[in-house]
Amino acid sequence: MRRNDTPVLEVRNVSKTFDTVVRALDEVSIAVYRGEIVGVVGENGAGKSTLMKILVGVYAPDRGILLLGGKEVPFPRNPKEAAQRGISIVYQERGVIPHLRVYQFLFLGHEEQYRGPWGLQSERMKREARDILDEFHVVCDVESFMYELPLATQKMVEIARAVLGVRLESRGKDVAPVIILDEPTAPLTLEERRELFQNILRMKETCSFIFVSHIIPEVMEFVDRVYVLRDGKLVAHYDLAQDAVTEEDLFRAIVGRESLAYTFEARKKTVSSEVILRVEGLTKRGCYYDVSFELCRGECLGLFGPAGSGKSEVLRTIAGILGFDGGKLVIKGQEAFSGEPPHVRLERGVGYCSGEAGKELFFHWSIAKNISIVNLKKVLGKFFPVIRFGVERSIAEGVMGKLEIKAPGVHAECYSLSGGNKQKVSVGKWLERSPDILLLEDPTIGIDVGAREDIYEVLLEMKQKGISFILVSDDPKEYALLCDRVLVMRGGRVQRTVSAEELQEVAVG
Amino acid sequence: MVKTRRVWYPFFLLVRHPVAIVLVGLVVLFSLLYPQRFLTTLNLTTILKQFVTLVLFALGPSMVVVTGSLDLSYVGIWMLGGVLVWLLTPVLGLFAICVFPLLGLGTGFLVGVVHARGKVPSFILTLCLLVVYWGLTAALSGGYSRTVKGYEFITASLVPYIPTAFLWSLPLIGAAIYLMVRTRVGLYLYAIGSNEEGAKLAGIPVEKYKILAFTLSGLFTGLGTIVLFQHLGGSVPVELNLKNVVWPLVAIVLGGTPLVGGSGGPQRTLLGALTFSVFYRGLYLSLLHPEILQLLVGILLIVSIVVGARGLRGVEIT
Repeated sequence: MRRNDTPVLEVRNVSKTFDTVVRALDEVSIAVYRGEIVGVVGENGAGKSTLMKILVGVYAPDRGILLLGGKEVPFPRNPKEAAQRGISIVYQERGVIPHLRVYQFLFLGHEEQYRGPWGLQSERMKREARDILDEFHVVCDVESFMYELPLATQKMVEIARAVLGVRLESRGKDVAPVIILDEPTAPLTLEERRELFQNILRMKETCSFIFVSHIIPEVMEFVDRVYVLRDGKLVAHYDLAQDAVTEEDLFRAIVGRESLAYTFEARKKTVSSEVILRVEGLTKRGCYYDVSFELCRGECLGLFGPAGSGKSEVLRTIAGILGFDGGKLVIKGQEAFSGEPPHVRLERGVGYCSGEAGKELFFHWSIAKNISIVNLKKVLGKFFPVIRFGVERSIAEGVMGKLEIKAPGVHAECYSLSGGNKQKVSVGKWLERSPDILLLEDPTIGIDVGAREDIYEVLLEMKQKGISFILVSDDPKEYALLCDRVLVMRGGRVQRTVSAEELQEVAVG
Repeated sequence: MVKTRRVWYPFFLLVRHPVAIVLVGLVVLFSLLYPQRFLTTLNLTTILKQFVTLVLFALGPSMVVVTGSLDLSYVGIWMLGGVLVWLLTPVLGLFAICVFPLLGLGTGFLVGVVHARGKVPSFILTLCLLVVYWGLTAALSGGYSRTVKGYEFITASLVPYIPTAFLWSLPLIGAAIYLMVRTRVGLYLYAIGSNEEGAKLAGIPVEKYKILAFTLSGLFTGLGTIVLFQHLGGSVPVELNLKNVVWPLVAIVLGGTPLVGGSGGPQRTLLGALTFSVFYRGLYLSLLHPEILQLLVGILLIVSIVVGARGLRGVEIT
């Protein structure tokens, strides 16, 4: 039925070349119909962002045409022009201005229509802000500060702001808004994502969405049609309502090869009987209570639960970032005490690796230095403790080769790397150190499927070497792939222990 | 979801502006300690005088601090302006006083352009400029403090007990607060201080507004120094006095404008300047040695920076 309509937005044969060498986009065509959610997926560097930036007027395309409601129009030259034509974008991060009140943020950049004789007409802005938030079922006080809102609500306010921008800029003309959501769920927890999706689905009647993402299950569940980009080309287009598409198909289209995550034999049994970590009745008031488990050498244990279930806090307690009030923590037969700093735990053989961008990388250091920082024993000379540049270099080259880190060399500074490559450095530095226990907190958050696979491969290899893991993540698939056993936590208590395969059913059902 | 909390407004104000509690506390404390001397018209007038000095220096820079930058050039504008007035008065007569706002405007614009376009950290830039202006002042004045006569009318007494300089400062304070609270310019400056990249994404020309922030800061300092010039004796020193640089900064931070920007503003600086004046005057009445006073002022700055950086996250509105 939809096929017979005219799309509200269509681009045909768009190409864009940077610096005459890199072909960022090659003859890409997509169409968006009224009231639908269109997914655009692809790895980092596949051209998703370039395409979106062309649509909102940040870049000008080399070639291609833009049709709005069937009529050919020139490409917008800046975000304001794009908004006048109905196209607006919600950026992945850093779009929120925390110290502005909700109504101030909603109208930011459009104040000229609210200028009165005595400055800005804040009462009128508040009134109209309330109306639009009601329309989109966003529950919040227009006078609160943005930083007071939960993350999911902040995202909703940003989306409302995008729609509002289109309405204000296209005053008088009837334009159908097309809102681009650039990885909107990246900072959100599982429940917050659900809430956001429900809200967006409700808004479908009034606007269309382009949903840029690399989280496959999310795309499968949520969008009507999906375009797959790879290396600047459109490689696949699925109508999820009609075509029988599996997650695996989508994965193959995105990466261009078979997925590790869907071949379970990659996970061999590596668990030995030697208990390496014993936790008995561990309690931290206000965070978690009476947590007990044992971890064997070569085992990967998952801690699963919603945000606030205490899973991250347990992990951080073992890492030495948080203390505990009661219970016992025994690492390799020796009792560890509350208040021990992380470096003491590292001496005992416990490493901590977080995927949260910027948390543990030194952005202005080279890749080699970032890897050396946890491998100083190897890097420093035996008799005369100075940094041996040769050793540093060879260790870094080994890690880079193994994880396929794409960078000009070991001396490239970390801030210049893409998100996926940064994360690979974060995880890769532990490869050489080989602690007995590695604590992983969201090791692959916010990175594309290809980079994920590379990290999983290395983790599984480390596991085979007898390293134990404790994993905290938001992605059930990750548990399924890596873990031997999963503790399900809720409200700070362990509810039950399940196998990884069971967990997947629990999470899906 | 988000609970809409309605709080008794004065209480809300106290929580949002905790320095007000400190102010009331200090007034009560000093009135009890020095019943004969603190609540006298002479003492209160002195406090007002001190307040005027602080607030006129701090008003402009507090707009810059809101954007997350720092402007230390205010004392430089006052010193160099004073010498220029001395040089130009024989030529231009009383119009020479216009040097102040023009110098302020020019300085602010220059700093803004170099800071925003050249990506030079504003702290070091304005500190260097301050030293340059200090050097220029010494060179132009020949190394002596120069008194200029003829502007006494500016601070001539109008209302008994209330310093005229205070009356002059009121419209400036009003204009600054109005600008920051009610207009688009103010809103954009807060936005830039809160999240510069987000402001850019929202389509705000960040560079332009940063330059504007420094220009406004210079202009307000320039206008303020017209009053301050006479208020502080009708002459300028040729030696840089560090307390003139530090005290307004204390007033800004104490008032509740964190140095990282995003919140606060001139209305807070007002409160900070008043609190600081009361604090200093109270200590002055005590028998503490003057050097100890400087020490306490330094500690006060550190404490207020720490509190400002941590914010009020510890305080719950119930």
